[in-house]
Amino acid sequence: MRAFISAVYVFLYAPIALVVLFSFNAGRNASEFTGFSTMWYGKALGNTFLVAALQNSLIIALTSATLAAIFGTMAAIGMERLGTRTRAVLDGLFAAAIVVPGVVIGIATLVALVEVFSFLNPLLNAIWPGANPPQLGLGYGSIVAAHGLFSMALVTMIVKARIASLGRDIVEASSDLYATPLTTFRLVVLPQILPSVLAGFLLSFTFSFDDFIIAFFVAGSKTTLPIYVFASIRRGVTPEINAIATLVLVASLMMILIARILMREKKTTN
Amino acid sequence: MPKHYRENAPITAAQFMDELMRLKRGSVSRRHFLGVTGLGLASAVLAGQTGLLSSPAFAEDLGKQMSIATWPNYHDPATFEAFTAKTGVAVEVNVFGSNEEMLAKLQAGGTGWDLFVPTNYTISTYVKLGLIDPLDMSKLTNYSPATETARFTAEGTISGTTYAVPKNWGTTGIALNSKKIKTPVASWKDFFEVAQNEADTRTIVHDYQLTTIGSALVSLGYSFNSVKPDELAKAEALLVKVKPHLYAINSDYQPAMRAGDAWMTMCWTNDGAQLNRDVPEIKFVLGKDGGEIWSDFYAIPKSAANKPAGYALLNYLMDPANAVKEHIANGAPTTDSRVLSLLPKEITSNTIVYPPDGQLTPLEFGAAVTLTDPARAEVMARFKSA
Amino acid sequence: MALATNTKRRMVTASLVAPAVAWLFIFLVLPFIAMLVFSVGERAPEGGYQPAFTFAQFANLPSRAAAFWNTLFLAPVGAFICLIVAYPVAYYLAVKANPRYRLLLVSLVIVPFWTSLLVRTYAWMYLLGSRGIPNLLSMVGFDDVRILNTHGAVLLGIVYGYLPLMIMPIYVSLEKLDRRLLEASADLGAKPVSTFFSITLPLSLPGVMTGLSLVTILLLGEYLIPQLLGGGKVFFIGNALVDLFLQSRNWPFGSAIAVTLVISVVFVLLIAMRIAWKIAGTRQVDLV
Repeated sequence: MRAFISAVYVFLYAPIALVVLFSFNAGRNASEFTGFSTMWYGKALGNTFLVAALQNSLIIALTSATLAAIFGTMAAIGMERLGTRTRAVLDGLFAAAIVVPGVVIGIATLVALVEVFSFLNPLLNAIWPGANPPQLGLGYGSIVAAHGLFSMALVTMIVKARIASLGRDIVEASSDLYATPLTTFRLVVLPQILPSVLAGFLLSFTFSFDDFIIAFFVAGSKTTLPIYVFASIRRGVTPEINAIATLVLVASLMMILIARILMREKKTTN
Repeated sequence: MPKHYRENAPITAAQFMDELMRLKRGSVSRRHFLGVTGLGLASAVLAGQTGLLSSPAFAEDLGKQMSIATWPNYHDPATFEAFTAKTGVAVEVNVFGSNEEMLAKLQAGGTGWDLFVPTNYTISTYVKLGLIDPLDMSKLTNYSPATETARFTAEGTISGTTYAVPKNWGTTGIALNSKKIKTPVASWKDFFEVAQNEADTRTIVHDYQLTTIGSALVSLGYSFNSVKPDELAKAEALLVKVKPHLYAINSDYQPAMRAGDAWMTMCWTNDGAQLNRDVPEIKFVLGKDGGEIWSDFYAIPKSAANKPAGYALLNYLMDPANAVKEHIANGAPTTDSRVLSLLPKEITSNTIVYPPDGQLTPLEFGAAVTLTDPARAEVMARFKSA
Repeated sequence: MALATNTKRRMVTASLVAPAVAWLFIFLVLPFIAMLVFSVGERAPEGGYQPAFTFAQFANLPSRAAAFWNTLFLAPVGAFICLIVAYPVAYYLAVKANPRYRLLLVSLVIVPFWTSLLVRTYAWMYLLGSRGIPNLLSMVGFDDVRILNTHGAVLLGIVYGYLPLMIMPIYVSLEKLDRRLLEASADLGAKPVSTFFSITLPLSLPGVMTGLSLVTILLLGEYLIPQLLGGGKVFFIGNALVDLFLQSRNWPFGSAIAVTLVISVVFVLLIAMRIAWKIAGTRQVDLV
């Protein structure tokens, strides 16, 4: 059993080890190790397009995860107060947002937006008072929207499950003690659901940061990190990609570590 | 432009006169002249602009970055680095495996390309769909129509308006590893037969309807450009039969050929020249039963965000001094006699790059109809998903 | 007064769900309606879409039978192999592992998610290509092993990419398992194997079902793994779909396939829920 478990871990980590190894390659090729060098880290951080792609990915992931966490939590709370039928419809829509394949979300959003834009842009041209009317197009907005759709549904699901496990009695107890609904929410509900909101946020961030297929369709001229990596697979991967992937890995490991230390400290102070 | 110009260092009297003459001839813009001679600095200071101190004199015109859509292994990376060093504009290179893919991207909008490389037969469609701009020839001072070969440039000009200028021409042939494949391959008929025998699971065809379907058609004795339903049906049957024997359907076949994963592939001149240069046992042959001859062009999408940079890069690439370096690196034959005269003997005598005329006779240029013909698109899609 | 509070309450509820509803409507319902409309349209002469009312696109679906078959076959098979590999790992983590290292080992399952799947899949392209594992195999006498660009490579990539997603739900369901049950079973003289089959496995089935349906559903829309490890030869529906939009520019047919894909996903989900209900004997099963 042990041998099997170890083999699975080797399986999971072999490609990652390879990625990290080749990030220190001296050669320009990601398929032949010719010597040790850290130059690709410098090159990666000096590459305007790679850095811009990383920035775009971070901005998009942060924005979509934040919006998803806020709107998703609001929806989860609001849905508790809805009638059964409306709630069922909303439940169905959220489930759809999760299970509809990313490739379909990407294509459907692209097709719909292209149609909407081709209708709205001439309209904007006609009514705009200035010389250069703004033109709607694909970009940050469309990626955030398409990522946010999945993420929001995810947050809603997670937070709803948490609210359901809370039980109505503490809420009722609170209002029996003449707390206003807002106070009840702030002092009773919010602290209880906060960990699940945070979990939803983190999952959303990870999803958005790693998503290729949706962004591939709706990104317009914006390049996210996965789009950049996909394009470099076609034009020939240099160890720059390995370097940036290693940096992202190290950064996320550090975040996990910091989070764990913070949690441990919180536990001890409690 | 040498580096010291950008740093506003004084220039010699001779250089000054030279630049002045160029300005008079109209080959440089006034801004360029002012920037180069240092007068720009003076006038900028007078006008209260200090931004010029920190950046190249014309950088504000060109922006900081631009994007080009092109084909795999089609440029010398050093060219773009040199362009960036000269102008301060970083160049993002996007690579595509077919003209259909480029067209699909442009049709969906928002590509962000400032320059791209369409093939001869697609330009009329781009013009018809209003996806590319007529070129402002005054910005392409390095382009010289007089030294171009009409056969390869004609399709860039439509009813008197020039929409695209040539990058280079080439052919679509067969590259094969002569150490692994002993059966002689001299035609597309041979190609598809060997693919199912000696090169079983070692053959690559393009992810590109024109060449993949076209070569299958040629191997059956039909025209490369056929859109006749019965001929297409036979080509599809052949492709579907061959598919289980293929290594991949991919227009970027160089890595697999170099690694020895694949032994034979459909191949463009430039890839053939590069592969043969680095791995001598990889040979390049043209089908004696036919195939494609093509010329690739540079064009500027209507939707380009940074047209000034697109023009600047295009003009840079049209400079024979730069074009010749590109040629040496990527191995695609030039359409410009100025470039030809600068080439070393080992390239002009390389029969992969410049094959004898007789070998070109059976080849056909791609026809515009193949780009938009729904049947060809559907045959390709069915073949891939079969 | 009561009426006023009621109205106020409704206003609050409405404003709580309004952003989510608007988002769902604009970016889910509207695009899906657009897909439906497009799927009965025609390909424009130069590609794209032009309005029409025809079911020709749906009639053409059988031409992509191979892609549908690949997907409907490889997705469940891939999910099932994932399960076979994942279950022992989850079991070990939840039941056998030293509690001191448990959290570390569980985190190690999740960490791969922090490196881009694209980059990891690219690493597999190298490992499966002739310079990788086949090269090692030829040193020990297995010459000419071909892995890259085969169905096997795609399957391996699938198992690799989705393994953590399978391990986690099973681990969660096994971890919740009351260990006293296992002890009681052992005290009553049951062999470990029979304890496993009569207690552990049935109680972990909800996790198994969650993992299976999650992975299957995600696989139905997979594009990258077949694209990179299948050499453009092994086509999933996702690949056929991307191809129709990015090469053939046949938006109506692509839309028809997308609509069909969504219907297949819903169908798979319903079957999974049916099975889950049967297993759990209740309707309280959350699959997603």
